[in-house]
Amino acid sequence: MTNMNLYSRGDKLFVILNMVLIGIFTLSALYPFIYIASLSMSTGFEARAGNVLLTPVGFTLEAYKRVLSEPAFWNSYKNTFIYTIGGTLMSLAFIIPGAYALSRPQLYGRRFWNLMVAFTMWFHAGMIPFFLNMRDLGLLDSYFGIIIGFAVSGFNIILLRNFFEGIPQSFEEAARMDGANEFQVLWKVYMPLSKPAIATVTLFCIVSRWNGFFWAMVLLQDTGKIPLQVYLRQVIADLSDDEEFANSLLSAAYSFETVSAAIIVCSIIPILLIYPFLQKYFSKGILLGGVKE
Amino acid sequence: MSGVRLKGIEKAYGAVKVVHGIDLEVQEKEFVVLVGPSGCGKSTTLRMIAGLEEISGGDLTIDDRHVNRVAPKDRDVAMVFQNYALYPHLNVSENIAFGLRIRKESKENIAAAVEEVSGILGLTEYLERRPADLSGGQRQRVAMGRAIVRRPKVFLFDEPLSNLDAKLRTQMRAEIKRLHKRLGVTSIYVTHDQVEAMTLADRIVVMHDGRIEQIGTPMELFLNPINTFVAGFLGSPPMNMVKAKIAKGENGPVAEFEGQSIQLAAIPSLQNAVGRDVILGIRPEFVKVVAEDAPDCVKIELDLIETLGSEALIHATLSGQPFVIRTETVGQMHILNGFPGFTIEPNLIRVFDAKTGMTFPGQVIEQ
Amino acid sequence: MTQEKSDTAHKAQDASGSDKLQRVKDHLKREWQLYVMLLPTIIWLLVFLYKPMYGLQIAFKDFSVFRGVAGSPWVGLEHFQTLFGNDQFLRALKNTIILSFYGLIFGFPMPILLALMFNEVLHQTFKKTAQTIVYLPHFISSVIIAGIVITAFSPSAGIVNTVLGWFGYDAVYFLTKPEWFRPIFVGTGIWQEAGFQSIVYLAAIAGVSPTLYESAVVDGASRWQMVWKITVPSILPTIIIMLIIRIGNMLEVSFEMIILLYQPATYQTADVVNTFIYRQGIQGGQYDLAAAAGLFNAVVAFVLVMTANTISKRYSRTSLW
Repeated sequence: MTNMNLYSRGDKLFVILNMVLIGIFTLSALYPFIYIASLSMSTGFEARAGNVLLTPVGFTLEAYKRVLSEPAFWNSYKNTFIYTIGGTLMSLAFIIPGAYALSRPQLYGRRFWNLMVAFTMWFHAGMIPFFLNMRDLGLLDSYFGIIIGFAVSGFNIILLRNFFEGIPQSFEEAARMDGANEFQVLWKVYMPLSKPAIATVTLFCIVSRWNGFFWAMVLLQDTGKIPLQVYLRQVIADLSDDEEFANSLLSAAYSFETVSAAIIVCSIIPILLIYPFLQKYFSKGILLGGVKE
Repeated sequence: MSGVRLKGIEKAYGAVKVVHGIDLEVQEKEFVVLVGPSGCGKSTTLRMIAGLEEISGGDLTIDDRHVNRVAPKDRDVAMVFQNYALYPHLNVSENIAFGLRIRKESKENIAAAVEEVSGILGLTEYLERRPADLSGGQRQRVAMGRAIVRRPKVFLFDEPLSNLDAKLRTQMRAEIKRLHKRLGVTSIYVTHDQVEAMTLADRIVVMHDGRIEQIGTPMELFLNPINTFVAGFLGSPPMNMVKAKIAKGENGPVAEFEGQSIQLAAIPSLQNAVGRDVILGIRPEFVKVVAEDAPDCVKIELDLIETLGSEALIHATLSGQPFVIRTETVGQMHILNGFPGFTIEPNLIRVFDAKTGMTFPGQVIEQ
Repeated sequence: MTQEKSDTAHKAQDASGSDKLQRVKDHLKREWQLYVMLLPTIIWLLVFLYKPMYGLQIAFKDFSVFRGVAGSPWVGLEHFQTLFGNDQFLRALKNTIILSFYGLIFGFPMPILLALMFNEVLHQTFKKTAQTIVYLPHFISSVIIAGIVITAFSPSAGIVNTVLGWFGYDAVYFLTKPEWFRPIFVGTGIWQEAGFQSIVYLAAIAGVSPTLYESAVVDGASRWQMVWKITVPSILPTIIIMLIIRIGNMLEVSFEMIILLYQPATYQTADVVNTFIYRQGIQGGQYDLAAAAGLFNAVVAFVLVMTANTISKRYSRTSLW
């Protein structure tokens, strides 16, 4: 089947045309990243003039120097790490035992508990009641609020529960006959057996935490606590209001465009570093999550 | 008494009862096989003994201790599962040691126990391997190793051989039997395969629809089944069942069907049953093919002969129903093609009441 | 279970009430650890998701922060009447529907097309590389995507205006033009998600038996014919299920991206229900009115999702979640 020589002329044309189209689509997916990377390494003058197309023009790292010398950037970077690591660990601490319990047939009221989880995927109270609730709980402007407030996701629980349900129950029974309690069954048998699913859920958590923007913007007023995404947004949106920065643009070594491009590059890099894992597990994950009740 | 005692054990899921009061005493060191078709409650019964299912009613004692509410791990029983449930992320030695580690045994004890068990089961070379790298028979052995390493009072087997191919199954059957002889641990074994039951058991418990049909040694059940269910379940090929009516003959009772008649044993219960509709249970092995027509010959229509070497299976039709005969081939191949019928000794015919399916009392075939 | 059976079930339960209590006790003694594992999740759901549902009642109240949810007086459907007399809300509703609709028409076929095309690529390295690249945008945050869009469409330095300049067009500040918002938003969505969404279809295609293609080759079918006669019919169930899901999630316009891309000049085409709620509620402090809009949104979404789930259950015999 894969031997091109066996193809008719029409088929060869079809295959080649198809490759060209895919190539175009792929380049269009890739190009914005190249463009941003090039922009971040060009001089502000060339960037403003719209001369950057593919490669850096007037190569300079001034924009990065500007970004990296900003304490607020480092602070938001640190905050994002706190939210990502803390939030992911918190999520796993809820989701893994919860999903395991929900997967056990002997659990009383199992249908009810599962419905309680699933219902949150169909119906949510919405932005305002959630916000007021966070405020009532005293979780505005708090690291803990961001970490705990988004710890559980119905989708992740159901994904992991489905995986646990796919493991034959005799593993649990064998371990219990061997003397293990439920915590030991989960820790010593089901978790090692579920590494791919747990990796998937972990990556889901990491990505959503790393990219989380809206609620961080809404719940955090204290600029000392904002994550990278909110900081980036502020830089892009508020640059014109920042007099000092606007004045410093006169240096022409960097510009609004090159500085925001540099921040974008800095915030993409961690995602790129874990991207090989993301690719491996996400495709499994969305198929696993293609979920049953 | 040391052993396992079930008294009126019941299992219900909501209002649906699946096990209706099982009474069974398993003696110490005995090998008891629960056998029956799928859905007969045998696995559920085993799992209640293991503590994996809650017991809905009745009393379970192990070694004279009432264990209805005792957790599985504290019942001092071990179980071999149908799919073995070997932990795929642990190697053979870790799999065998799992239970001991959970129970916080000392390292030296664990090492010694694993060595001993792997020696008994011939697993010494494979201790470092993962289950995925083992053959079916080896996995089976590891599963047994995991059970015996804890030296439990009772072994429970839940269809442990059903995942193996036929050849390996025969081999492992013998190994289980040997192991039982060597260790002498009380064992309860569940299977739907009557051959396994016949070959392994000291005593067989035949179950059907959540009830015990009959308990006895393999030969007792084979020769003297109490009803048509047990009769049809044990033996391969299964017992032939022929509908008939009892009549009075010259030499005691006879069974009549489709214009033919067979002499039955002259026992009182049959003599008093003249006119009753019955089912004749005729084992394929108990009939004798005849070369020529004779007065006591039961005539059959021949369909097909399967020659298996030293013996042959003859598929025929009797009174409109399939009838199978198992016979030796040596020295009688010449008569097998086109013989008219068979004869059978009256006391080898098992007569059941057609309505109740129960046997008539007094029919005993000596072993 | 039939009626008769459940009747006897009730009787049996009545007869053994204390028995049942004992069984529950036994069960808890055996399995209490499971409930310990479940408890944190249940408490979390109650505190963070179900309590806000209780708070939704402010949609029917004259809510004041000082009186709290329970203490505020009821006003019935006043907020809903206000909403449906409010041009901004109606505009937001209209925009939500239009944006979803465009997203559906242009966004839905793309991943299918991509999957079909990927399936026809014979060169494995090329295929892997291309897939790796087209999945990537999915993992990039909306802030960054918006940043890229803003930069690319910037009137002075943006690549788009630079290219237009080559052809003699004047620079356009696209992000301030209402007529450009929808194409830019929908296009960005496709660019970001089409590749990743193709995974589902690729998996469906991978499930098609190779013997179908082999027998088609023997029958002399061309690649083009095989795509339309074998691949597409084989993945049709997946396509239909995905379509149903998509329709069920109609109201889920990615408002985060809209917040990042829109500005007062483009509200006319860009403002959707969720951005309306955000401005009225979080920014404007009109919690009750915004909660009413949110409730309306959530109820319509719930009905859509449940309908979609029911339909897909009937169609595929498995529910979606």
